[in-house]
Amino acid sequence: MGERAPPKRIPQVNVRKISPDFCEFVLSDTDPSVANALRRVMLSEVPTLAIDLVEIEVNTTVLNDEFIAHRLGLIPLVSQRVGEFTGAYDTNDDEENALMDIVFTMDVKCTGDDTLDVTSNDLQLDHNFQDIHPVAYHPSGMPMDPEAERGVLLVKLRKGQHLKLKAIARKGIGKDHAKWQPVATVTFQYMPDIRINQALMDTLSEEQKLEWVRSSPNPVFRVNPVTAQVEVLDAEAYRYDGEVIAKAKAFGKEGLVSITPRQDMFIFRVEGTGAMPTQQIVLSAIEVLLRKLDTLQQSLASEAAPMAVDNL
Amino acid sequence: MFEEQIEDAEAAELEAEIDQEDAWAVVSAFFGNKGLVRQQLDSFNEFINTTVQEIVDESSEIVVRPQSQHNPLDEGEEPEDKRVVVRFGQIYLSRPTMTEADGETVVLFPKEARLRNLTYAAPLYVDVSKTTYMPSPDGMEEPESEEVEDYSKIFIGEVPIMLRSDYCSLYEKTEKQLSILGECPYDQGGYFVVNGSEKVLIAQERMANNHVYVFKKAQATYSHIAECRSVLENSTRNTSTMTVKMLSRTGAKGATGQCIRCTLPYIRSDIPILIVFRALGFVTDKDVLEHIVYSLDDKEMMEALRPSIEEAFPIQTQEVALDWIGKRGSTVGVTKEKRIQYAREILQREMLPHVTVAEHAFEPKKAYFFGYMVHRLLLVALGRRGEDDRDHYANKRLDLGGPLLANLFRMLFRKLARDARGYVQRCVDKGRDVNLPAGINKDTITKGLRYSLATGNWGMMGTAGLRAGVSQVLNRLTYVSTLSHLRRINSPIGREGKLAKPRQLHNSQWGMICPAETPEGQACGLVKNLALMSYISVGCPSSPVLTFLEEWTTETLEEISASVIPKATKIFVNGIWVGVHRDPQMLVRTLRQMRRQVDISTEVGVVHDLQLQELRLYTDYGRCSRPLFIVKDKQLEIKKKHIIALQLEEDFSWNELIKAGMVEYVDTEEEETTMIAMSVRDLQMAAEDENSSIQTYTHCEIHPSMILGVCASIIPFPDHNQSPRNTYQSAMGKQAMGMYLTNYQVRMDTQAYILYYPQKPLVSTRAMEHLHFRELPAGHNAIVAIACYSGYNQEDSVMMNQSSIDRGFFRSIFFRSYRAEEKKQGSLVSELIEKPERGSTSGMRHGTYDKLDDDGIVSPGTRVSGEDVIIGKTVPLPEEVPGQPQRFTKRDVSTSLRNSEAGMVDQVLVTTNAEGQTFVKMRVRSIRVPQVGDKFASRHGQKGTIGITYTQEDMPWTADGIVPDLIINPHAIPSRMTIGHLVEALMSKVAAQLGKEGDATPFIDLSYQKISDMLHQCGYQQRGWETMYNGHTGRQLKAQIFLNPTYYQRLKHMVDDKIHSRGRGPVQILTRQPVEGRAREGGLRFGEMERDCIISHGCASFLKERLFEVSDAYRVHVCEKCGTIAVANLKKNQFHCTACKSSTSIVQVYMPYACKLLFQELMAMAINPCMQV
Repeated sequence: MGERAPPKRIPQVNVRKISPDFCEFVLSDTDPSVANALRRVMLSEVPTLAIDLVEIEVNTTVLNDEFIAHRLGLIPLVSQRVGEFTGAYDTNDDEENALMDIVFTMDVKCTGDDTLDVTSNDLQLDHNFQDIHPVAYHPSGMPMDPEAERGVLLVKLRKGQHLKLKAIARKGIGKDHAKWQPVATVTFQYMPDIRINQALMDTLSEEQKLEWVRSSPNPVFRVNPVTAQVEVLDAEAYRYDGEVIAKAKAFGKEGLVSITPRQDMFIFRVEGTGAMPTQQIVLSAIEVLLRKLDTLQQSLASEAAPMAVDNL
Repeated sequence: MFEEQIEDAEAAELEAEIDQEDAWAVVSAFFGNKGLVRQQLDSFNEFINTTVQEIVDESSEIVVRPQSQHNPLDEGEEPEDKRVVVRFGQIYLSRPTMTEADGETVVLFPKEARLRNLTYAAPLYVDVSKTTYMPSPDGMEEPESEEVEDYSKIFIGEVPIMLRSDYCSLYEKTEKQLSILGECPYDQGGYFVVNGSEKVLIAQERMANNHVYVFKKAQATYSHIAECRSVLENSTRNTSTMTVKMLSRTGAKGATGQCIRCTLPYIRSDIPILIVFRALGFVTDKDVLEHIVYSLDDKEMMEALRPSIEEAFPIQTQEVALDWIGKRGSTVGVTKEKRIQYAREILQREMLPHVTVAEHAFEPKKAYFFGYMVHRLLLVALGRRGEDDRDHYANKRLDLGGPLLANLFRMLFRKLARDARGYVQRCVDKGRDVNLPAGINKDTITKGLRYSLATGNWGMMGTAGLRAGVSQVLNRLTYVSTLSHLRRINSPIGREGKLAKPRQLHNSQWGMICPAETPEGQACGLVKNLALMSYISVGCPSSPVLTFLEEWTTETLEEISASVIPKATKIFVNGIWVGVHRDPQMLVRTLRQMRRQVDISTEVGVVHDLQLQELRLYTDYGRCSRPLFIVKDKQLEIKKKHIIALQLEEDFSWNELIKAGMVEYVDTEEEETTMIAMSVRDLQMAAEDENSSIQTYTHCEIHPSMILGVCASIIPFPDHNQSPRNTYQSAMGKQAMGMYLTNYQVRMDTQAYILYYPQKPLVSTRAMEHLHFRELPAGHNAIVAIACYSGYNQEDSVMMNQSSIDRGFFRSIFFRSYRAEEKKQGSLVSELIEKPERGSTSGMRHGTYDKLDDDGIVSPGTRVSGEDVIIGKTVPLPEEVPGQPQRFTKRDVSTSLRNSEAGMVDQVLVTTNAEGQTFVKMRVRSIRVPQVGDKFASRHGQKGTIGITYTQEDMPWTADGIVPDLIINPHAIPSRMTIGHLVEALMSKVAAQLGKEGDATPFIDLSYQKISDMLHQCGYQQRGWETMYNGHTGRQLKAQIFLNPTYYQRLKHMVDDKIHSRGRGPVQILTRQPVEGRAREGGLRFGEMERDCIISHGCASFLKERLFEVSDAYRVHVCEKCGTIAVANLKKNQFHCTACKSSTSIVQVYMPYACKLLFQELMAMAINPCMQV
């Protein structure tokens, strides 16, 4: 009696660019809800490692303990191995052997007359987890390439000031605190479907065409120098600002162009923090999403079974 | 040849006119020279450098003759003609010092004074000479013998020193030296440190003295009134007001017509003016009329005087007139000669003292001035002139710190001299040696000044006429609030007065007083703030001006006949009529020229009033003035080369501009005689266009945005806002958190707020440069969306991005300092800071004592909360029975943390105070992370509290990945018309894109469209709109959202400091009702209106519960027979009525404890309330 189920679609992913901290891909043949779920999970539920607990032994710097602890927390830690850890509030079958804490230490004292920058490079790694370290980590004292990225600045020291602490990193998710977000931002946009009414466009003068093209803040259209026809240069640059439509209206030529967002094609951009390669973020997000769906399916099944009995 | 051409071009360039942009170099020069609290420093320096010496000099010498005591045994003692004369001479002021309890004197620096609760004051010394004159032995012809004894540099007291003034230890220290001394280089000084707290003297506004004001009266008796509040310069004498009144038609019923009468000090009734003239020796009608009307051709005015002349017809000689006045004086029943003498003295000393108080030849001067007052009155009465404007700012004077201190110091020094005189008298009477230093009480000045500065009660302790609130604790919430506080003005007019006029913004306040910055409510318009470039005159001697006038053929009043006056111009100096001049134009020109060359002081005000034919010159202190460009022949005197010199040359600065006559100070009264171009462009336009209607510019504004004060200069685009919004922001900017000083770590303020990551605004005004707002900012550049989204931002609430908060958005630190000192109890017993022990100490607190170290103080880094004891202190209990062992030997007087606060001990200071007692200050810090209920505001009077926080994934986002930090509701915009908010947002976006600061200075040429075009070029929608996507669903939002950066401030009002509830808790001792206030864990008042509401709902039981059960329910036992309260012992089940001696029929009654209290109080008044039960 109901509608026919829509044809089963198989979502497609087309990766355009990928690097450790940036990734652009097109997700198609699916719904906005799925795209958004993926975005939300990447932002808030992909676990990473971050410094969570700081024990300060000596702090004679200008910044107070809480300040330094907060700054330490925000340093992205390379968290490829996050899967092996258990979060502070997670349940683990093997409580005894669960890996939880990664302990960093720091002991910096300024003895010279110049100000000394304390950076994430001054953190001493945990012996057990030598591969878990802050991003762009070059242990202090080691020769450093002057071109290389500097560590994350924590505080500046003056002569005689001393900072000694123990920082414990743990697994967590972005929902609890932004420091556990693996990404700076994740965004997607709807692929625009742009159709120019060439017949109407031909009624415009050359100047009008140029003016119309220029009215878009981004280079979406251009006037073809050969044919003098307006054509789409880069549809994806369109930000749905509606400027060209308003311009057409101002010319009295409504319907000059029709732009609709496609509901089944999304361009994703993922900017990582360095804690994880973007590829891992996306895959991890899909994994988390699947687990959530699994949980939902299981609870539905267990709910449905007794209901079925009721219906009888 | 080619080089010559270049040189020519360069020369032309140098001679070129300046443009508006160049004016900023002049503004910078002004602030570079003056700073922001110059008025305070100038006025204090004037006080120290000249006024103190003047006050000492003007105190007449103390002459003491022995007053022989009646001694019955020693009858025949010869009347000694011995005299002792004490004179005060040169004063000396040392650098600020302090004397430790052990007697050691050390140089004091402000940091130490603040931390140890000391007073930053310098000792004042004076040279005193004592001369004893001995009469020559009997019969000898020799003159009396003289014996002089000099005491040099006697210490007479300590004078608090204004920070950064000429006598401050920080004067002309470099930034580096200041940092080493623990001072913030941005601190401007201008305040005092008294008992460790920073005190500002608020400028007090008053009416100018020695002006003649004419007002119309609505009363029935008088139609017009002319008054003059006459004060002799540099004297403590009260103002002596003279009023000349014209009877109204109705008021003149019995009399012959509209007579003119006047009041004289100490004379009970009004005196016809003719009698005053005759008493002054001008007897004939013609003489009198010449002094009033000047020209006997003015028939109309003479006609107006007819009733007055007729009224005084019976009194025709000076004698009779003086007697007439004398009869109405305070002395009655004395001889005619005495009466005449009395009247003459009143005319000489009390009437118009500012004109002269000389004993001889005072009559013509006073008669002319008195005649002038009548003349002015008649001008208004005849409708030739309008009445004077009481609120015109030319008629106001500002008493700054210097004059305020001078008045106080004068009183105190008089008292000191009086006391010294008493001492000398006693010594002389008893024939002892006079040891002057012992007779000078050092505490009079020290304590007198300190008392007034510490309490704000201006005047001597215990005397009447104290003015409260003159000295206030300097506001240190944020840097601008400090600056604004140092530039505040108070008008001591009754706050309850309904009169709106004095509160309104007056045209003459342009450029002197900020049009936006004033509080709302009771003090609205009465508390004002100085505009950025206003300058308050400190006063200069009038003698150079008088000498000048004499040299330039001014005819004095004695020299001329009255008939000259209508043809000449009257010349007044500080309200005193000194003479007339026949070529005023030339005189004014020369005077101005001399002022521009600094031959006479730049402060002198030259007012040429053409209408009244007067030239008024002012040299007094407290006049408001402001610098303006001088215009000559439609061109500015300042040229491009001067601007270049300002920018490049080290020794070419503000003072050189003044000396070269390019800029001058114009005061409020002189401003009325000038023609000021609003901008350099206006001037150029007038110069280019021959047909321009304006040909007479004399001055040009330096920049119109300088009319604003400190707080209003923080607002971007204030010229795009509805004016009350600027007023609201001016009030809110003072509550914003930021960095109030860079040395906050070494200070122990009772409360302090510091923002974790203060940012300088993307869009700023030019004035901010001088306010150091970029160096000490108070806010964040938040990404703000104006949208409804989920609706959790209705009614001025905002939604905030929780992820941003996690990353440190608007995180701040709150410091609170506690202090304790070991006070001395008597000479032997003293309090002791220690860890109190339960065994020996009574009255211990609820909170834990475990956090105390062995020294009785919590150590830094300890987490403290609730009512934890943080400084343990005990006071020894006196022995009850000597020799007997006591249960408790000490009582606990510890300090515990505020009950609703928590934090970490940040810093502890243990030192000694001025008395040498141990003194502890402790600073507790807590981190405040923004949460629901905290208050935020933009710079346009748009405030709101957080309604909800959303994490990043729940926030709307744009295709570029931008997520707002803050979402405000669109309904906040239309009715409030804060267009500036939107323009700021738009420009911020452009600024962020281009990586440049936006210029939001008001009154410059910048259109909204220009910003839009720039934004369009940056690839954004021109109006700042963006298409956004719903964070929950991922769908595109239908409407485009205005999403831009905007500078937001975090205000000090936070929920954690306000949250309060109570189930049960402390009650008042007297009434047993719950106490009031959150700090005491008090109840929430169920007031009358709430009561009315419940009554109207008919919820009687609920009402009884609120007002009785949960308040002060109490049970008493009442005797049924007599109705009085009976004695009940419920344990033994015994009841007894003491009134009727019965122990039966006693019942229980519930009543409020307050009711029981009332009954008992009535009983104490011998009224027996009976309860019929």
